[in-house]
Amino acid sequence: MKKKFTTSMLGIFSLLMMSFASLAQNYNIKGKIADSNGQPMIGATVVLKGTAFGTATNAAGDYSFNASVKAGTYDLEFRSVGFANVSKKITLGSANDLNVNVAMIEDGMSLDEVVVTGSTLKSTRRELGNSISTVSAQSIRNSGTNNLAGAIQGKIAGAQVTQNSGDPSGGITIRLRGIKSLAGSSDPLYVIDGVIISNASDNVSQLAPSSSVGSAVVTQNRLADINPNDIETLNVLNGAAAAAVYGSRASNGVVLITTKRGKSGTPKVTFSTSFNANELRKKVFASTYGKQFGFAELRLYPIANVSAAQIAANPGTTTAGILRDGATTNLATNLVDVTRYDYQDQIYQTGYGNDNNLSVSGGSEKTQYFASISYLKNQGIVKGTDFQRYGLRMRLDQRLNNWAKMSVGLNYSNSSSNEKPNGNVFYSPVNSFTITNNIWDLNNRDASGKLQRVERARINPLSVIEDMVFTQDVSRTINDIQFNLTPLAGLSVDLVAGIDSYSQTGNNTINRYPYALEAATAGVALGANLFPDGFAAQASNKVTLYNTDLNITYQKQLNDKLKLTAVGGFNYQFQNKEFITSGGENLSPFVTTTRGVSRSITTDYSLDRFWVAGQFVQATVGYDNKLFLTAALRRDASSIFAESEVNQLYPKISASYVIKEDENLTARVRGSLGDAGGVTAIGTYDRFWQFGPSPYLGRPAFNAGTRFANERVRPERMREIEFGGDFGFLKNRVQLGISVYQQNITDLVLNRNLAPSVGGLSKTDNVGEMQNKGIEITLGGSIIKQKDFEIDANIIFSSNRNKITKLPGGTVNIVNSFTAADGIAFVEGQPASIFIGRIYARNPDGTLLLTPQGLPQSERGTQTAGDPVNYTINPRVDGQPSGSTFIRTVVGNPNPDWTGSFSSNIRYKDLTFRFLLDAVQGVSVFNADKRTRENVGIGSLIEAELRGTAPRGSVLAIGPIEEFRVDDGSFVKLREIALSYRLPSIIKGMSNFNISLSGRNLISWDKYNGYDPETNAGGNSDRLRGTDFGNVPIPRTYQMSLTASF
Amino acid sequence: MKNIFVKSFVLASVAMMSLSSCQKEYLNPSTGSETQVLTDVDGLVALANGLPLRYSVGRQSPAYTIVATGGLTTRELAVLNAGNLDEDQLLRGGLGVDGNNAVVRNLWSQLNLIKGNSDLIFNNLDKVNDPGLKSGLRAYATIYRALAIGTMAQFWQQVTVETAPNANFVPRDETFRQAITLLESTQTAIAATPISASFNARMVAGLDIPNTINALIARYALFVGDYPKAIAAANKVTASSRSSWNFDDVTRNPIWDVALANVNVFQPLSLNMGLPNDLAPVAADKRIDFYFLSRTPSTTGVFRGRGFFTANNSPMPIYLPGEMSLIIAEANARANNLDAALTALNSVLTKKTDSWLMGADLPAFSGDRTSAMAILTEIYRNRRIELFMSGMALEDSRRFGRPATERSRTWMPYPAIERSNNTNTPADPAN
Repeated sequence: MKKKFTTSMLGIFSLLMMSFASLAQNYNIKGKIADSNGQPMIGATVVLKGTAFGTATNAAGDYSFNASVKAGTYDLEFRSVGFANVSKKITLGSANDLNVNVAMIEDGMSLDEVVVTGSTLKSTRRELGNSISTVSAQSIRNSGTNNLAGAIQGKIAGAQVTQNSGDPSGGITIRLRGIKSLAGSSDPLYVIDGVIISNASDNVSQLAPSSSVGSAVVTQNRLADINPNDIETLNVLNGAAAAAVYGSRASNGVVLITTKRGKSGTPKVTFSTSFNANELRKKVFASTYGKQFGFAELRLYPIANVSAAQIAANPGTTTAGILRDGATTNLATNLVDVTRYDYQDQIYQTGYGNDNNLSVSGGSEKTQYFASISYLKNQGIVKGTDFQRYGLRMRLDQRLNNWAKMSVGLNYSNSSSNEKPNGNVFYSPVNSFTITNNIWDLNNRDASGKLQRVERARINPLSVIEDMVFTQDVSRTINDIQFNLTPLAGLSVDLVAGIDSYSQTGNNTINRYPYALEAATAGVALGANLFPDGFAAQASNKVTLYNTDLNITYQKQLNDKLKLTAVGGFNYQFQNKEFITSGGENLSPFVTTTRGVSRSITTDYSLDRFWVAGQFVQATVGYDNKLFLTAALRRDASSIFAESEVNQLYPKISASYVIKEDENLTARVRGSLGDAGGVTAIGTYDRFWQFGPSPYLGRPAFNAGTRFANERVRPERMREIEFGGDFGFLKNRVQLGISVYQQNITDLVLNRNLAPSVGGLSKTDNVGEMQNKGIEITLGGSIIKQKDFEIDANIIFSSNRNKITKLPGGTVNIVNSFTAADGIAFVEGQPASIFIGRIYARNPDGTLLLTPQGLPQSERGTQTAGDPVNYTINPRVDGQPSGSTFIRTVVGNPNPDWTGSFSSNIRYKDLTFRFLLDAVQGVSVFNADKRTRENVGIGSLIEAELRGTAPRGSVLAIGPIEEFRVDDGSFVKLREIALSYRLPSIIKGMSNFNISLSGRNLISWDKYNGYDPETNAGGNSDRLRGTDFGNVPIPRTYQMSLTASF
Repeated sequence: MKNIFVKSFVLASVAMMSLSSCQKEYLNPSTGSETQVLTDVDGLVALANGLPLRYSVGRQSPAYTIVATGGLTTRELAVLNAGNLDEDQLLRGGLGVDGNNAVVRNLWSQLNLIKGNSDLIFNNLDKVNDPGLKSGLRAYATIYRALAIGTMAQFWQQVTVETAPNANFVPRDETFRQAITLLESTQTAIAATPISASFNARMVAGLDIPNTINALIARYALFVGDYPKAIAAANKVTASSRSSWNFDDVTRNPIWDVALANVNVFQPLSLNMGLPNDLAPVAADKRIDFYFLSRTPSTTGVFRGRGFFTANNSPMPIYLPGEMSLIIAEANARANNLDAALTALNSVLTKKTDSWLMGADLPAFSGDRTSAMAILTEIYRNRRIELFMSGMALEDSRRFGRPATERSRTWMPYPAIERSNNTNTPADPAN
């Protein structure tokens, strides 16, 4: 079927090539474009409709181009972002030179703005039944971050953009309209200039921690390779809107990125440079009170049970029996003097960075080019961490003849980073501080300068800084070639071929700790998970993605009111990933690679590859440029679908109606209904029951996979219905956009638990269902607009409610390293990834019901059978909780109630002030670090115990109560603030000279009992979210930048 | 010019589109698939090698969880860092040990997986033509199936003996009997068709098949009260035999790797070895020095264990010669053959060394030789010492009717993962 389709497509295609007419004549068309104030418009485009001829205006607003076409009547169309399109009818006859001047009127509503809707397809906004958010180059500039995802934080309705780690190369996730998948990622599909690119978070540089992090994805995502300075626009499409072109991969939404292009005219050189400083925004509490219970070497003194032998060995130790949950712990009660240090001072630094970009663009009528080079280096706030990126890119547009254009994009980048272990392990920089009783002088070195031990079984936090070297290096190339043909009036044929290929290597070294042996001989050793004898590992990841798209568009004005646009297309997407690791322990001195290891040597190889291929047709009928109806259908096949599931169909319909459109008021309503698929939850080999080989004493050994095969693998499927409207008030100076939507996601792939008695622990199945519904509101406009003084403001509000509606097989627990096994889970009827745990026993008035010893305790009762969150509380006996079961229920939800932002630009003459407030509200954070700090003896509660202001045993009491560890993670951040000044030209020919001072994340208004509620120990995981366990906090950044154009 | 362009363009598009005419499916070159492994002798042999691997390697392995559960509930072991919450709950016992306890869940899950993997071998024995090899595979599947269900029956009152959706629960006595039946039928089968040398050469070293089968029959016959069978089988176990799980630096001894090496999870609680003061090992008992690095605790009061857990590659015994002697002693004592019981008990007390280099080197039993009660108590004491940190302590404490105060739990609750996916799961025991 597919082959047949391809062949017939090619047949039609070839015929078209051969059959067009060729009685062309040469014309020169020129003129001037000005705005309503008569100011020249720079970079406005002019297109002779129905042909491939056109150009853009220069700095004086002039344009000129040659067209080789048949004589006749044509529409000459003028476009510029933020202005209404202007169309002029011209007649090309015997005269070869035409002069056409136009004045363009600002259009706050941008109904005629052309947006990319996928691959080479474009549409004006008025035709679209879906909302599509657009971020322009201008709003990315001066955002104080060198990460593209970071630069769009707070700028897109319906998107929650979370920086998961403050590491300079730390991951950032974008989630559009909530979580879409339970087993897979909810990361949108990223497409740059038609090329599907990888945003994977493959781990080559965190190999030591990888064995203990569970669901967490603790490494940078590959969007880090993209230089925000290269971006012209970024469009965000939600699932159904992108389904025609991206079918089985569209359900998470698609981010379409268009990079900068050259424009005809004299060469333009733009140079920008910036310098920035990053610092820790806020320290967390670490007790420096010089006391401790028991004796100095008593580990975990707040909660440790002191044995008779310990009392005998440490005279003066007194204890008290504290009853918790029916068991008694003998806690030390005598105080001894200790010296406490704040280890944060030893871990954090002020990091510096700079970012330099140089671009040259220009071109002739037939050839346009854009070339750029960039270099970035940024240090983190944790000592020894940095990120470096350099890139080269080139875009060449070439007119081949009067009906064919070619465009070639070449891009190379190299990203490298120095990292430290990310969260989730006790030897991350932050955790090594959190998990260690701070009574040891870290800088106490022996005569040869070697670090000394701290609390036994822990490593010296400075060892993380000095003895752990984790690096990675990525060489990446993203290239595309496109042909745009207009062989007949109204017909265009576009062909895109794109390749994204990168090679990623990582080096991981943990040098032997100088004190490893000392700890071992003293009766307490460093755990094997800390690699006391050193560790080295290397990884190499080779990824290639390519896609080819063929799109054929036919436009026809059927009569004076009715217009038809029909599109048919075919595309093919392939992905190949080859991952090789090797590593081992017991490292030779001075050697930092796997060649120096001599124990526990492991190697691995994995190959992951799949293709998706599909065809689509889409037709839009427009009536009177007011009403547009669109219908589309796509069919997909893929190597990862089961035999029985190779025919996936995705239908879509949408409508848009412009009710009113004049200079004062604009109103448009729109609606759409469509299906999209998702394959991120499907592993390449999920169709098979895997038997994994293991090294075992020199013999081949298989273990049957604990996960059974999914015999009917098929894409997860989302049906989205959306209604909305766009309105312009007060002469269209105030714009309001509203969208409401509901997404029903079915066929969710679940790795659901099995009763172990069947011989497996889990099975993947397309059985789950989930729902997202929400509302997005954007309100913005120009408040004051004068020649020397302008104020504009924008508000974005988004609210999404996520709910798992069907979860056969019961609750899915999300594996992590810091909660009980069922501490974070998917539960039917609840939002995804809720936190489950024990709660406090409370009195009717809500105060804590204390034990007879005056301590908080867990609530007891009866858990509803087969229900992880519902329960009944047992009646009190003697005023105390009774029964044998500690009830567990929802203690937190990492899905925010709403997100929003408020931004404003204020310009006075050449001075511009800008700020962006970004809010995430009604969200919980599982703050694992909080209890850890108490347990090891540096928290505020244990300090209260030491001071006698809290009863002894307070820390012990809250140990099993998860409710204690869940904090309100709502925040409002001053995400961006910038002051820019446009300097007068100091050099002849300089057209633009800007200097700006900006800040990022300067202030956070929150009630969080940790560094920063915007964090995730789960890294880029969409399953494990809103968790804090040794994460690097997001820095406060100050930046000074300079931009000059010639 | 145009023609050339058109041609090359068409050619280019054909080339691009033809990329799609590729493979329909991709197999994972890094794993075996179900059809590959289960229909091929080499696959089944590797699957058989996977049984001891799953049984003995890692913190989730039964080798770890049996020792942890058996030892923590009977005061053999102390948790050093209460942050190891699941282990700590077992130590404290009572209500704190629930269906979510990770150690208990792993114990249940992994034993069930081993049972299931054994059944995969049983169900595909027809794919094997070589009779000697087939016998070997049958023996492996038998031993691990018996170990899986028998071990479960040491911790739970009812056991999922079958591998099936919504599996039925079988009372523990019946479970032991089924394990014995399976072991005996395989014993007969491999006597008729001996295991080939080529099979043994393909397996990871350590498992002594004939002796292990007898040792397990003896163990389970004792638990179920079939004393003649227990005595007969234990007598068939060669005293000098060694059957073990072996390790290296990659697949490490789990007790050493997780606990004893790092002194952060658990260590022996005290020189009492979990026994009350009146039964504590006497100072002359050399087994103390076998199981402890030193009789003096560290400054922080921690005793460090030794035993079969001294390095990444220390082998762990599947059964001990001492266990066989003590089975003979106990079975005879319970059948009131006190002389035979004393002979076997004394062989343990006076043993200077054995195939595992352990020996109490004590004088013979000097208590009341006519009191079955006194002899059984001495047998209990010696089981707890001889089989220290073998996971047998909970079973022994219960079988010898020791006061419930000597253990933190008597039975394990059924893990939540089974309960929420199997409607046949019985109610949890009170403690």
